[in-house]
Parts: sequence; structure tokens; C-alpha cells
Amino acid sequence: MKSVNQEAVEHDPQQLHDDLHDIWGNPKGLKALTIVNHTTLGLRFMITGMVFFLIGGILAMLVRTQLAMPDQDFMSPEIYNQVTTMHGTVMMFLFAIPMLEGLAIYLIPKMIGARDLVCPRLTSLGYFCYLFGGIILTSSLIIEMAPSSGWFMYTPLSSKEFAPDLGSDFWLLGITFVEISALSAGVELVVSILRTRTQGMALHKMPLFAWYILAMALMIVVGFPPLILGSVLLELERAVGMPFFQIAGGGDPVLWQHLFWLFGHPEVYIIFLPAAGIVSTLIPVFAGRPIVGYGWVVAAITIMGFISFGLWVHHMFTIGIPQLAQAFFSAASMLVAVPTAIQVFVWIATLWLGKPKMKLPMLWVMGFLIIFVCGGLTGVMLALVPFNWQVHDTHFVVAHMHYVLVGGMFFPLIAGLYYWLPLFSGRMPSENLGRWGFWLTFLGFNGTFLIMHWTGLLGMPRRIYTYEAGSGWEIFNLLSSISSFILSAGIAMVLLDIALHFRFGKPAKHNPWNADTLEWANTMPPSAYNFVSLPNVETRHPLWDDPNLPHTMAEGKHSLAVASHGRREMWGTDPITGKVREIIHLPGNSWWPLFAASALAVVCLSLLTRVYLLAGVFVIIAGIFLLRWSWENGAHPNAAPDAGVKPGDPPLHSRTMDGPGLWAMGVFLIANGSFFLSYLFGWFYLWTVSPQWRMPETPPLSLMLMGAAGVAVFAGAVIMEKLIRGLRQQRDAGLGAGFYTAAALGALQIGLTGWALWQAELSPTQTSHDAVMLVGLAYALFHGCLAVILTVLQGLRVGYGYVGVHAPFEPGVVALLWRYNVVVFGLLIGALAVLPRVIGG
Amino acid sequence: MRERNSAIAIHNPSSRWGHRITCLMGICLLISVAGCSGDRSILDPAGPAARDVRLIWWVMLSFATVVLLGVTAVWLYAFRPRSVERTAAQERRIARRWIIGGGLVLPVASITALLMFGVPAGQRMLPLPLSEPPEVIEVIGHQWWWEVRYPGAEGGEVVTANQLVMPAGEPVDFHVSGADVIHAFWVPRLGGKIDMLPGRVNKIRLEADEPAVFGAQCAELCGVGHAHMHLYVEAVPRDEFDAWLMARQETELSEAATQASTHDGAREAFMTHCASCHEVAGVSQGRVGPNLSDVGSRTMLGAGAMPMEEGAISQWLQNHQTLKPGNKMPAHDDIDTDTLDALGAWLETLSP
Repeated sequence: MKSVNQEAVEHDPQQLHDDLHDIWGNPKGLKALTIVNHTTLGLRFMITGMVFFLIGGILAMLVRTQLAMPDQDFMSPEIYNQVTTMHGTVMMFLFAIPMLEGLAIYLIPKMIGARDLVCPRLTSLGYFCYLFGGIILTSSLIIEMAPSSGWFMYTPLSSKEFAPDLGSDFWLLGITFVEISALSAGVELVVSILRTRTQGMALHKMPLFAWYILAMALMIVVGFPPLILGSVLLELERAVGMPFFQIAGGGDPVLWQHLFWLFGHPEVYIIFLPAAGIVSTLIPVFAGRPIVGYGWVVAAITIMGFISFGLWVHHMFTIGIPQLAQAFFSAASMLVAVPTAIQVFVWIATLWLGKPKMKLPMLWVMGFLIIFVCGGLTGVMLALVPFNWQVHDTHFVVAHMHYVLVGGMFFPLIAGLYYWLPLFSGRMPSENLGRWGFWLTFLGFNGTFLIMHWTGLLGMPRRIYTYEAGSGWEIFNLLSSISSFILSAGIAMVLLDIALHFRFGKPAKHNPWNADTLEWANTMPPSAYNFVSLPNVETRHPLWDDPNLPHTMAEGKHSLAVASHGRREMWGTDPITGKVREIIHLPGNSWWPLFAASALAVVCLSLLTRVYLLAGVFVIIAGIFLLRWSWENGAHPNAAPDAGVKPGDPPLHSRTMDGPGLWAMGVFLIANGSFFLSYLFGWFYLWTVSPQWRMPETPPLSLMLMGAAGVAVFAGAVIMEKLIRGLRQQRDAGLGAGFYTAAALGALQIGLTGWALWQAELSPTQTSHDAVMLVGLAYALFHGCLAVILTVLQGLRVGYGYVGVHAPFEPGVVALLWRYNVVVFGLLIGALAVLPRVIGG
Repeated sequence: MRERNSAIAIHNPSSRWGHRITCLMGICLLISVAGCSGDRSILDPAGPAARDVRLIWWVMLSFATVVLLGVTAVWLYAFRPRSVERTAAQERRIARRWIIGGGLVLPVASITALLMFGVPAGQRMLPLPLSEPPEVIEVIGHQWWWEVRYPGAEGGEVVTANQLVMPAGEPVDFHVSGADVIHAFWVPRLGGKIDMLPGRVNKIRLEADEPAVFGAQCAELCGVGHAHMHLYVEAVPRDEFDAWLMARQETELSEAATQASTHDGAREAFMTHCASCHEVAGVSQGRVGPNLSDVGSRTMLGAGAMPMEEGAISQWLQNHQTLKPGNKMPAHDDIDTDTLDALGAWLETLSP
């Protein structure tokens, strides 16, 4: 099956293009809100990200204005704290991550020879959650009620007692809302990269950029849930008084720091990896040769991804943790220099062996290298504990962090934007304005932040809204502030250049940089379906090895050049070998993502205003929208009622047992598992470390009831597995009844768990023990309900004929959730009911 | 090498960048000679811990500068125009040298050197048991002031606020915690900082070489008063320190505060308006705000908000919300200026 469908029928290319356009094209007017296409949504992500970047940039300029001179009262301390908090929050959550995800959403399908991402409606949901969450969060600035406890929101400063305003709630709810977007993009990027590469593109043949994005997406999937858990707990504490982070109730404010940095440190690499991916893409193109050490880079990415989860404590060296832990995290933090250095020297070796050209994008790559290496070196310094104790929380750290983040993310991003501009627009940027923009940005940046290292060494702490004359910091702050205005002039020039080029740029010739990757086989700007036909790619450099490939692809000479069936189709391939397994048919434009995101926005707003009844109602409404969306799958008339494929082609994925939805569920459950493990971490952390934790004399949770509930969920899962085995053997007799039986067992589990909860008579506002227990049981109940609802829906779908032997795909997806529930419930019984009995208080 | 059509001319701008980078380095040098001193400067150490860190810093900076310049130079040199034909095997060998040399050997060697150099320095900062137990001083961070306690003082515990007097020339253990939110205790010229957490006690050992005055400031964002949370630190010779403690024994202080004098009216006003929050030995028991038993002897008022001089307390009482925005003492608009003046005059006498 090396080249399925290669003997494509000789079509009229123009006719084929028109037909594909009818199926894939974007609607206009109000219906543009239904678009699910990755090209459009990727651009929307990036443009929205740029708007938030400007907001964050203006906040930064306010900070530098305030600090330009001593004893200024340009801003009050309260407003200053709001401005710094929001600068960090906007830049991290509303600019860096969504911007890079937008770029990945735009580029990944094009680079791997697919026509769209694998869950197009999820892309759309993610975008609207990002947009609405961002608007809610930034609106707090307008009403002067923005969060003011720092972007890290340390408790107890962010707790109800010390931050009674809505600021913290805006942060916790808004960020959690935005994180839905980050997570959904993370999930679908993983599945897209693993399962929708064009045929023949084995894992070791895919572009390095895809490796970087795969690592980033997996890190988002594992890294974001701890913060979501932390936010949920803190919001519960603020709203109903559950004392998770209060010493007096048996909680611990340091737990927040662990949860925050468990997310916060990987976050740095989540931002850096895609940017490094841009660098690894650009350098070979401008050096005119393949990257040296592809394997080294892949190894470095992998190692970096793993190590980055073992570093979080280096943000907490001054909180008084045990020496051994400090030594471990210190060494681990330094070790991350190894994979970084490997990449830097791979880039250098590639330039060394190639014939590099200093075009505009490469200028930004050079700026990246100098600034990022400098930031990396101060990072190694900071990993040394004695030095860290001195400069922690001073402007030295502010400088280091901006060297890493601006150097490691912003410079490569601009390099990438300049590089891909011709693809976005079909026009070239101006070399002149672009060079001016670069040099102003580069010099302004170093002027601002190089000096700031020194200010920190002279003892200036972070986050002070003013300092007194005579402190010795005046001249350095003034220089930083002046340079920061040069920096913003540079950035303004870059943005102006990019904006102007859409109108005045010279039309670009095809593949203007002579690149090697498939995205340049698109038309410029690209069509909604990317490629008329999908090639067989068995090289890392398809466009270098076959410069004619874009033409033959456009002429429909490769596979899947069929439009007559009216479906949006692309290849589903093997995650390792890239061999074709099935045809993935994608859903078309849909209102459901917008509706669901709007309902979630109402939930967010009503939690913010403490109208909990309304929030409850809209949670249900959002759930209904999401379930209605999932209804249009498989053999549903709006999906793929007719399963006909060309002779010789593999079946549609909904007619197999292994489609992308199964993978998406799997990756989602990894994220969910990370959330659950963070919860267990919190339980054991408070149990063992919290100074005033109180274990009740008699464990409140009935072992018998919980055990019975465990048996019920296990039995349900066994039934689900049996049904799947039947489907695999072409049997669907009693399928519907089987689903209803499993659902009944799930309901039994919910009932027994609820009974155990009722019997435990917890007082969650009194002790953190009871509060944590309640959260765990609520988690189990929620997942029980989810499994029951989805299983009942499967029963209904059997009745409608959307599921059965002819379309056996969906039950496997639901069964995966059942398996997860069994494992999670078992762990919960062990942690909450068994261990306290074994070890005792 | 395969042929590629490149319409772009190769030019060599590396010398221009070299020039620019030299300029940049020059500016850096200029700034660095402009001064390392300052009452909170890490680079102007006054104790063994801070001195170790300064040495570590200069060594690390020199090494980092060499690495940065080296990497940048190699990077720019790679852009030189050239036409060398290499075989695939040669290319592989060159690439492997770069990657193993720069990507593995360089960082691993640097990290090993750094740890061998840095870990012993860290050991010396730990509060390990000493043959003679050091003086213990407890510092508790409040929004936005410092409570300082001397549990080991001869004759009984001494309590003061916003000033920290310590013996010079000997190690001192600081036991720190937070009363409300997280603060951080940091005397930069003596050594590293440590967080002040509610519900926990953290310990750090510092030593001042010579008698001197040091600046200190809260280092963890703690709310609107964060920038105005200064601590006056003074190291004095051991005998002076003992005398200082002795003068602050509760019996001594309360005698001075309660003796009948022209200040009786002010004391009554204090009992009406201030006593529920502030303690004055022998007069009141308030624990919300700073202890004022020796306030007249302090160098600064309001945790560094203004210097102590004649009439300063009255000024502070009238303008404290401007001098230190957001502080938790109520504005005293309901008290007439004469009463505030009298209060200030009395409090200024509370000086052992």
C-alpha cells in the first residue's frame, strides 16, 4: 500500500479546484463565525494574539514610565500592581501561547501534507474560548479591578482575606477559560501530527518544526492541568471558603506555589520550543543545506521536554525547602543547558557547513541567538542556590526572564513571521524598514534589560512601584526606561512593515526562500483545502528533492484528488511509519463551537458575579451544545452517511475501530490524568507537609460503599469492553441494551459514591482535609455522570443507526473513558479511604 | 552539496556587527565602573556570605562573557563567503565535533566547575550547629512593617519594630516568618534572602564583619505597601549590643513610659486612640501594629517612610497615608492637630 491511489485519474485541475473549493471554502458574512478551517483560525489566533501583545506592551511602557525616575506618583501602588500583574498575565497567557499555537495551527497541516487539523470544530471552540476569556480578563483593567497579586498569584496575597476585590477572580476564572483553548489546541496538534501526516511521511521523516510542536503540544497537555487544578481550588477557597491554602484550616499557601510552578516552569519551554522550531526551520533554508544532526535535535527536544517538568522548584529556592531537594533541583536546572547547547551547536554546525545568507529573517535569528544565549547563561547562574538567594526577586531576574522569553520567543517569532509572510499574503516584506525595525528592537531591548541585571545586583527588588532618590538605582532605571521606548519604536516599525506589506509588498515568487518543506507547495495565499492532491513523501526535504512537486500536486496527480462525494477528506496514517490506514472525513463549518464557547463565557461571567444558579444553568446549556455537536459524527446525515470510497482506497475512519477521535480521547485523558495526579499530589502534600493538617480520628469515607461503587464502575467497563469485542467480530446484537446496562451500572456507581459522600458528613469549609476529599469525590461523580451520558447517547445512536457493525468507531472512544474512570476511582479509593486507615492520622 | 538556485547575493556584514557589538560592550563596561556601592548592593558585601556570592558572580560573569562572545563570534564567522567542497564523511565529522564539543562537553564541564565552586559557598550559609550557639533574632513580616524579637536577651525577651540591631563580627541566626502574607527577609550586603511564610519558621545565618548600617527591604510582593517596607539594620560591637538589649528590658521601658509628667494628657489620648493596636511597655497591650516602646530611639519611622527627628511623629500621624499609601493605620482626621502634636512629643520621649 505504498502509494495508494497514485494512478489518479486525469482530472481537469481547474474543475477539481472548483469542486474542492465548494466543499472547503469559507462562507462570508455572519456565517464566517462558523468557519472551522485551520488557515483562517490560525490567522485569527495570531491577529488576536498581536492585539493582546500591544495591550501587554502598553502596560510595560506604563511600568517603565513609572520607574524612570525615583519617587514618582504617576501611578498609585494599587494601579501599579494591577499593571505589572496584567503585563505578565497578558504576555504569557494571551500573547505567547496563543500566538505560537496560532502559528502551529496555521502551519502544521500544511507542513505534514494534510488538509486541516484533525478536530476542526475544536479549533474553533478553542479560538472563541481564547477570545472571550481574553476580553473578560482584560476588561478588568478598564474597571480598575484587575488582579494585583502578581502574575503568579501567590496565596495568601491573592486569597479572599488580602484581596477581597474581584481581581483574583478575574484572573482565576479568565485564565482557566483561556486554558480550555490552549488545551484543546494541544490535544488536536498532538493527534494531527501523529495521525494525519501524508502517506509515507514516517516519524523520522517529518519536518523538525513538527517535532517541536509535538513536544510543545504534549507539554501543554501535561503541564496546564496543575494550574487549572490550582485555579479551581483557589477559586473554591475564595468563593465558598474551603481552606486549601490557609494554614489555620490545615491548608498550606506553599501548595499553590508548587501547583503554579509545576505548570509555570514547563510553560517557559512550551514557549521556547516552537520558537526554537522556527529557528531550526529557517537555518537550513538560509544555509542552503539540510540541518546537521536531525537525530540530535529530536533527542534534545525530548530530553528538554522531560527535564522541564523536574525544574519547578528552582522558582522556590528561597521558601526554605530541604537542602537535598535544593541540590537536586539546582543540578537539574543546570542540566537543561545540555539539550539547549546541543541545539545551538547544531545550528552553528549547519551554518558552518552551509552557505548562509543574511536575509531579514536570519537577522532576527541572529538577534535571537545572542539574546537567548545570554539569557541561558544567566539562567545557569540562577540555578546556583547561593547566587539565587541573593538575586531572587530582584531586577536581575526580571532581566534574565526577558532575555529568555523575548530572546527565546519574540525574536524567533518575528523571524518566522517574516519568513512565512509570503505564504500568508503572497507578498514580500520590505528589507529596509525591516532592518531598521530589527536594529532598533535589538538595541532597545539590550539597553533596557542588560542594564537591568545591574540594577538588580545593586539590590533593587522586583515589583516595587517606586524607589527613593539616593538609592543608587536612578541612572540605571532612567537608561532602561529610555531604551524601552527605543524598543517599542522598533517593534512599532516591525508591525508597520508587516501591516504595510499586505498592501505594498512586492508580489512573491513561488517558494521565495527556496525552502524544503511542504507548506510552500501551497498557493500563496493558500486555498482552504491546502492541496488538490496529497503526495507520497518519503524524504525530509520534499521540495528540494522534487522541485516540481507543487505543480504535480496542484494538477491532482497525487492521491485523494476526489471531490465528488462532497466530504472533507484527508489521510489517516500510521503514527510511526506514515502508512495509510484510513480516510479521515472532517466535519464542516458549524455554529456549535461558537454557541458552546458563548455559554461557557456566560458561566465564567456568572461565577465572577457570584450568580451561581445562572452558572449552573449555563454549564448544562454548554454541555447540551457540546453533546449536540458530538451528535453530528459518524453515519449522521451531516457527517458521512454514505461510506463509499474509490476502489482500492482504505475505508472511512468512522467505519474502522481506530480513528482520530479515539486518539483525541486518549490525549485528552492524558491531560485529565495530569489533573488527577496533581490532585493526588495536593492531597499527599497537605497530608505530609501542611503545618496544621488534621486527620480525623475515624476515616469518614465508608470503605464498603466506595468499594461497591468501584465494583459497579468496573462491571460497567467490562461490559463496554465486551461490546467492543463483539463489534470487532462483526456482532452488534444487543448492542443498544448493552450500552444501557453499562450506563445503569455507571448510575449505580454515582449513587453509591453520592451515598458515601452524604454519609461522610464532611465540613469542607472547616478543614482542608474535608475540602480536598470533597473535591476528589466531586471529580469522580462528574466523570461518572460523563460516562453515563455518553453511554446512553451511544445507545440512542444505535437506535438511529448511526452506530453499529457498519459504523463501529464511537463505542471505543467511550470505552476508553470507562477504563480511565476505573483506574481513577481505584486510585481515589486507595488514597482517600484505604491509606488513611492503614497509616492513620 | 546539491545545487540550489539562489538569486540572493552573498554579502559579508560580519565586520559591521563586530563593530556594533564592541560598542555595546563598551557601554556595558562604562556602566559597570559607574559603581558597585549602595546600601543594598550585592556587589558591596559586608559579610562572609555576601562576599562569597560576589566572588561567584564575578567568576560566573567572566566565564559567561567568554562563552557568549565565543558563540557569537563563531556564528558570525560561519557567514563568511567561502567555497569549500567537502565530502559527506568530512561534513559528518565536522558536525559531530561541533555538537559533541559545544553541546555536550562545554555545558557538562561548565556545570561541573560551577557546582564544585558554588556548593561549598552554599554550605557556609546554612544554619548548621555551631560549638557556641549563635544569637537568635526573630523577624516577623507584617503588611507592611517588621516585628523584631530577641528571645535570648538576658533578663527576658526584647521586642521592637522596624529596626534590627545585631552584634557585629559573629554569626547570627535569623528565624523569620510572616504574620499575614508572604514577605521576604533580605539584607543584601550581608547575604541571601529567605521567604517569611505564615505558619512556618525559616532560618538563615548572616554575619556582619564590622559595625555598620545596612539597607534592607522586603523582597516578596506583599501588597500595596511592598515598596515602602524598609528595615533599618545596624551591626554594633557585642558589648554595645548587650547594652542595647539591656536598655530595652520591659521593666526599664515601662518605667520611662509611665512616670508622671507633662505628657499625661498625651498618654490618655494614646489610650483612647492608639492602644488597641500598639503596645507601649507598661501602658498598652495592642498587637496589631508595631510595638512603640522604644520608638523615640529609632532612626526611621513607618518602616523607612521618613527619618526620625523632632516633630517627625506628629508629621507622620498627620500625613502617613501620603507618606506610605495604603498603610493599615486609619487616617487621623478625627483627631485635632494639637492632640497629634502632643502624642508625637510623648512618643518621642520613649527612648531608652
